[in-house]
Amino acid sequence: MMPVSVLGRYLARHRVRYAAGVLLLIATNACALLIPWVTKDVVDALGGAGRSTATRETVALGALLVVGLALAQALVRTASRLLMLGAGQRVESEIRADLFDAFLRLDLAFYQTRRTGDLMSRATNDLQSVAMLVGFGLLSLINTAIVYAGSLVAMLRIDPWLTAVALAPYPLLVAVARRYTTRAHAEALAVQEQLSRLSTKAHENLSGMPVVRAYTLAPREIAEFRTLNEEHLARVLRQTRTHGLFSPLLAIMTGIGALSVLWIGGRAVLEERLSLGVLVAFSGYVAYLAWPTMALGWVLAIVRRGFAALGRVTEILDARPGIVDGPDAAPLVEPLRGEIEIRGLTFRYAPEHPAALRDVSLRIAPGSSVAIVGTTGGGKTTLAGLLPRLWDPPPGTVFVDGREIHTIPLRDLRAAIGFVPQEAFLFSRTLRENVAFGAPEDGVTAAAEVAGLASDVARLPRGWDTVVGERGLTLSGGQRQRSTLARALLRDPQILVLDDAFAAVDAETEVAILDRLLERIQRRTTLVITHRLRVASLLDRIIVLEDGQVVEDGPHAELLARGGPYARLWRRQQLESTIEAAG
Amino acid sequence: MNHSRLGSLEDDEVVGRVYDARLARRVWAYTRPYRRAVAYSTVLFPLLAAVDVVQPYLVKIAIDDHILRGDWPGLSRIGLLFLGTLAVQYALRYGQIYLSTWTGQRVVHDLRATLFAHVQRLPAAFFDRNPVGRVMTRILGDVEAIGEVFTAGLVAIVGDAITLTSVVVVMLMLHLRLTLLTFAVLPILAAVAVALRAPVRRAYRDARTRLAHLNADLQETISGMPVIQLFGAEAARARELKDLSDRYRQAQFRRMGLESLLYAIAEALGATVVAALLWWGGIEILGGTLTFGVLVAFMQYTQRFYLPIRDASAKFSVMQAATVSAERVFALLDTPPETGGAVVPAVGPSGPAVPVRHPPAIELRDVWFAYPGAGQDGLGRDGEGAPAWAIRGVSLRIERGERVALVGGTGAGKTTLARLLTRTYDVQRGTVLVEGVEVREWDLVALRQHVGLVLQDVVLFAGTVAENLTLGRDVPRAMVEDVARRVHIDTFTRRLAGAFDAKLLERGANLSHGQRQLLSVARALLYNPPVLVLDEATSSVDPETEHLLQDAVNELLAGRTSVVIAHRFSTIQRADRVVVLQHGQLVDEGPHAVLLRRDGLYRTLWELQYGPGAPGGRAADAAARA
Repeated sequence: MMPVSVLGRYLARHRVRYAAGVLLLIATNACALLIPWVTKDVVDALGGAGRSTATRETVALGALLVVGLALAQALVRTASRLLMLGAGQRVESEIRADLFDAFLRLDLAFYQTRRTGDLMSRATNDLQSVAMLVGFGLLSLINTAIVYAGSLVAMLRIDPWLTAVALAPYPLLVAVARRYTTRAHAEALAVQEQLSRLSTKAHENLSGMPVVRAYTLAPREIAEFRTLNEEHLARVLRQTRTHGLFSPLLAIMTGIGALSVLWIGGRAVLEERLSLGVLVAFSGYVAYLAWPTMALGWVLAIVRRGFAALGRVTEILDARPGIVDGPDAAPLVEPLRGEIEIRGLTFRYAPEHPAALRDVSLRIAPGSSVAIVGTTGGGKTTLAGLLPRLWDPPPGTVFVDGREIHTIPLRDLRAAIGFVPQEAFLFSRTLRENVAFGAPEDGVTAAAEVAGLASDVARLPRGWDTVVGERGLTLSGGQRQRSTLARALLRDPQILVLDDAFAAVDAETEVAILDRLLERIQRRTTLVITHRLRVASLLDRIIVLEDGQVVEDGPHAELLARGGPYARLWRRQQLESTIEAAG
Repeated sequence: MNHSRLGSLEDDEVVGRVYDARLARRVWAYTRPYRRAVAYSTVLFPLLAAVDVVQPYLVKIAIDDHILRGDWPGLSRIGLLFLGTLAVQYALRYGQIYLSTWTGQRVVHDLRATLFAHVQRLPAAFFDRNPVGRVMTRILGDVEAIGEVFTAGLVAIVGDAITLTSVVVVMLMLHLRLTLLTFAVLPILAAVAVALRAPVRRAYRDARTRLAHLNADLQETISGMPVIQLFGAEAARARELKDLSDRYRQAQFRRMGLESLLYAIAEALGATVVAALLWWGGIEILGGTLTFGVLVAFMQYTQRFYLPIRDASAKFSVMQAATVSAERVFALLDTPPETGGAVVPAVGPSGPAVPVRHPPAIELRDVWFAYPGAGQDGLGRDGEGAPAWAIRGVSLRIERGERVALVGGTGAGKTTLARLLTRTYDVQRGTVLVEGVEVREWDLVALRQHVGLVLQDVVLFAGTVAENLTLGRDVPRAMVEDVARRVHIDTFTRRLAGAFDAKLLERGANLSHGQRQLLSVARALLYNPPVLVLDEATSSVDPETEHLLQDAVNELLAGRTSVVIAHRFSTIQRADRVVVLQHGQLVDEGPHAVLLRRDGLYRTLWELQYGPGAPGGRAADAAARA
């Protein structure tokens, strides 16, 4: 959708607030514009129009009127700002909420192609620019229009000819501003471009620091950075020159307006065609126009930046997840038994990529335990990720309990599968919340027991209430992995998938955890991806994946006797453990 | 430590002081080369203030002496004079904007270049602790914030102060009673500002912390997205985020309300001053003690007086941000760089022709090393407080011209040992000597030119093939092409559009893995260090490239003292000596054939790699790798 129509949709929801805000804005400017008018009358009464007609009382009355108008203006302006800026904050908040919903809905394929930094920048910098647009930008834009219209009306009512004189420099200003905007835009782009080069250079240098050090490249790197830096400086200074030429011009233009009023209006006064009060009032209007005029360039920049940012935000809002419930998905009426069947599954991450899995067919009986082993890049993790549809298998290839998995609602499917990923991710909250993760918290102790986490919890400074994760206590890799296992176990899933979940603990510990696990969670289908064949040998059956194909499949003893790839791998690992033992 | 200070500053609240004399002095020192510009712009301020003061005064004269007396030629003279002041004002403003930005940006760019150069000299341990993003922020963002001091911060505050003073002086000279009347509201304004200062600050801080909280949570949500989706926690997470977002909006609204209030009060007070002038001035005009011109001039002076006061808070927040940034930037600049000694040993030509006894090319004497910080983070590490030694008491002598292969399992300490030879890290115990001189005494650049370290991870820079080979040194093209031929990269290079001048895409995306490895060998060959430490690539490449690579490595190692973290059979076989590491200790050493007969750890490692009873050779090599 176009950014403009997206914005229209959000603004329309708060039309009452915005409309009321605009009305109040008109009222406050009316008060402000009446002040020079009153001044005019007072000055004229004091003799500005020839003969003095004023008394102390009329002067005091005029002054009181100005005070009253000023107070009313301040009050009404505050109200209008609260309404309009408040509405802007609501719009910001709604766009943010929609953005978060979009983030939560989008699938892994989406996250694979974007960096977290880029997404965060849309949710922070871009949203901030949009907030400026719907709040201050909109307010200033409307205010400027009202101030211009109001001043024009007031000035025309007093003296059309002097109005023409006072506003004479403005068409020139518009022409200059237009030229300036084009040039400033081009120069800003040039600065941005150079800054991006500078930042790329710094990034390349900092990430390649080992090579920079080993090859003593520092002098060259410093020289190159200096050159880019100098060019950046040159571009910034070019920009400054333009800015310096233009920005005082606005103030000078206002000065010229005031001068025209004084000079040409002054002549009219001395020829007694105009009163002194009119001159004073006009000076007041010209001064009142000064600020919105000066701010206009800035406001237009906010609007331009806001729309560009909104475009980037809209991209996310409009993105559709590829992994959703199939058209014929029907809720599960009874819990799954955990039978898995895969028929002729060939899978590529993208059409142009080579196949990660090639014609894989296998059946896993409910309640059985299966190990998937094989070389790195053989397709083990891919296979595991397809079960909970982290990646989407082609239709008609993966079945659970005989149901094609697209016909099972995504929520139900994922609730039935306990998935423990390679990378143990903990959020910055308490360990209890991390393990429960939405499930009832009373089961955490039991789950921790099975996962072998219980003794670790006892040693934490605040036990279950210790905050972990990035902004909390750093747990060891093994502790993190046991925590994520507990998280999966707590939900008592029918199918448990451990994707190389114990790489960070030693073999002994992994064997111990798995032993306990198999004993406790009988009648649950268990898939274990592992590099350690000793672990694999504990399970009912072993599947060897190589280059995306099943090359061997059977119980440990049988595969060993066969003397194929599995047997070779086994011998290799035996040797390795001998080396370990030797140390 | 500076490192930890840097770290803790990262998430710090930006509620720092507005001014810090120590930091200001350090920033001021950077203006030294530009003092002339600073002097000029200092002169401009009083001039600008003078123009600001003169204009209303001209209005006064125009009204009192000419308009009200019907003197058109006089009015025209004043009109021309006024036009003249506008022209002068324009020129002065331009000069002031340009000079202050010029100075500010010069300082920014100098500081940035200094910072970048300083970072190049920081030890590897610094980069282990400070992510690239953080250092980037220092170099790009924080430095810019300091520049703002010149354009919008301190300099503008000084300018405003001069203008304010001049306006006050002229007002006092024009009419004492009206001046006092104008200032009558100042105490009210001050009282309001003081009363609202604390709540406004708190509101600002609330809004900022809540936003930071919201963003941190969002960042984590994005990183942990697979977990959230697998556990069906989307709705709960959306609620939490919405909650944080609402809390942020409330704080924002409060902040905005207070700000609007402050703004409204300032505006109302300004108008009240106009009203008071009108009232009192009117009475004085009636009494004949005041002229119209003075009254009108006063109204304009009042505006010029209150405008800088209203904008002051914006300038103070610029100063606050700059102070925080300056603190971070100088903390980084104060991080001690790695320092080498001054010794550049004269090393004669290698080879047996010279019958002098040379010290060993490399010697390690009971070296112990633990990575900085290892053993302290996290819980449950064995032996609280004791460093996690990566190298434990290794002693080793490598003679000139000797070729040594380092072997051992994963985590045995091979790469660590290699790094110690170029003093990437300093050892905690023992000594590392190169050519008989302790590495700490070597001039660092000389050391790293003497001992070349070629890492497994090939880093390519944006630039042409030739630039990536020479790394910017002035090397004749013929020599580059000769080396390219010797390591077999000339064929594929010539196929690229532009050959050696072909641009490599980001990180060499248009090259295969094997080609990148070959490039890195060529680069080392051109660098031509007397001693070479090579971490052989483990990742597999196709057999054809593998063959070329072996050839290239042989070319590289020929006639050079070398230490190779060996993964290839051929490399080990051609080594004069094999050193076996395990758990950071040297467990065995000797020629390949001798070790293999010994039936120790080396034999087991060997069988693991190439199969039991392997005679060696390419077939076994390839099989083990598949």
